[in-house]
Amino acid sequence: MRKAWLILQKDIQQEFKTRFAVNAILLFAVVTLTAVSFSIGTYSASQEILAALLWIILFFSAMSGLSHIFVREEETHTADTLKLVALPVNVFWGKFFFNLILLILVEIIIIPLYFAVMNFVVIHTSFFILVMLLGSLGLTGGGTMVAAIISKASAKGALFTVLSFPILLPVLVSAISATNSAVGNDPVSLTGNAIQTMIAYDVVIITASVLLFDFVWNE
Amino acid sequence: MVKKIWNTILFVWMSGVIVGAFIWATQQKALKEYTRIIYFHVPVSWITVLAFLIAAVYSFLYLKKRLLKYDAYAEAANQLGFLFAVLATVTGSIWAKVSWGTFWNWDPRETSIFILLLIYAAYFALRSAIEEQDRRAILSSVYAILAFVTVPFFVFIVPRIYFSLHPDPVINQTGEVNMDFKQRVVFFSSLITFTAVFVWMLKTKFEIAVMRLRIKKLEREK
Amino acid sequence: MNPVYVVMIINLIIWAGIFGYMLNLSKHMSALRKKLNKLSDNEH
Repeated sequence: MRKAWLILQKDIQQEFKTRFAVNAILLFAVVTLTAVSFSIGTYSASQEILAALLWIILFFSAMSGLSHIFVREEETHTADTLKLVALPVNVFWGKFFFNLILLILVEIIIIPLYFAVMNFVVIHTSFFILVMLLGSLGLTGGGTMVAAIISKASAKGALFTVLSFPILLPVLVSAISATNSAVGNDPVSLTGNAIQTMIAYDVVIITASVLLFDFVWNE
Repeated sequence: MVKKIWNTILFVWMSGVIVGAFIWATQQKALKEYTRIIYFHVPVSWITVLAFLIAAVYSFLYLKKRLLKYDAYAEAANQLGFLFAVLATVTGSIWAKVSWGTFWNWDPRETSIFILLLIYAAYFALRSAIEEQDRRAILSSVYAILAFVTVPFFVFIVPRIYFSLHPDPVINQTGEVNMDFKQRVVFFSSLITFTAVFVWMLKTKFEIAVMRLRIKKLEREK
Repeated sequence: MNPVYVVMIINLIIWAGIFGYMLNLSKHMSALRKKLNKLSDNEH
């Protein structure tokens, strides 16, 4: 775990130098939010649609930024050195937490903006935060693994969304349905299923990724 | 010779199932004439999941043993699964048109088959993107397994969150089969027939895959 | 439309799909076999 922490630190330091991933993902999120806001207007959309739109914005922002972490290793040819000094499991955890921090950072900026621009009202705040956390965990878990696959394939980037979407859909669907209850459309008691699904999904996808990462990384 | 006997048995059995489904089996009250669709639509959907499982198993075997043969088998199983997924989607949407009024309305089962189609498409897209044989085999095997672990969510959990129009009394969540004797006989024989046909097709695909690998090897030796 | 015909159409689509695919496969297979024979003939 200490190695994973070191890799995370290294990635964060590197990111601070260029700020490429943060800028790309954040600007993408803002642009999508602007597009949505322009085309829908402030008061016309129901809370139900807004909950779905929020997750769609987050999903596509994640898709624009999460693959960067592995592509950079391949582009600067540092992947081989990393292979020598760290176990695949540690590499995975390092990259995973980097992506998680990246996504949560984006959420911290985008969600208040979304509240302000779209007139989005959350009734159960702590429940909403729980849903966001579980959803982000799922998105990063599946996203990081697919990003690792993509970085080894020749067609970089273009395939990322196509490959991730079917894998990430269970967490997206249940996150949208749980967000619906957080904004007060459905009673919270009804969405125990969605929360359970998200927890189960997070556990399954992260376990599978940890087990499979070895094969992709040492390919 | 043995193959011929098996083919004859399969042919007779298949005809028996079709005749049984149309003439012998009784009709479910709520579904009337449409009961008969179950004997064909459900086995086809079942094979889609079965093919996906087989592909995941061969992908796993490839990662363990690193024989290109297994990767070719996984691809073959996925191609067949894609065919059956398309058949299940088409037949299901015709049924949807006649009984619910629209070809497509995002019923949970329709959603799950659609996602399965998307996964297959993504798998083939990934394969076509990578030139190098070994790398393609590894990455697509990992993707197939990763996709496979998410399938239970579509098949079992998502349909519970959302309301389904699919006729539950026939095959429901708890796995009970609410059919009378005749229906049960026809349904399970149909399931067996379709599985046998699938196994036959899979074997043929495997043969082709092995031949392809051999040709490639011979060409490289020259 | 009479429901029986709908059921029949659905049934026909399934079998047509399977048979069409198998025909395609057998065509493929004979082509491959030819190629394989040619290749192994050249070797001897």
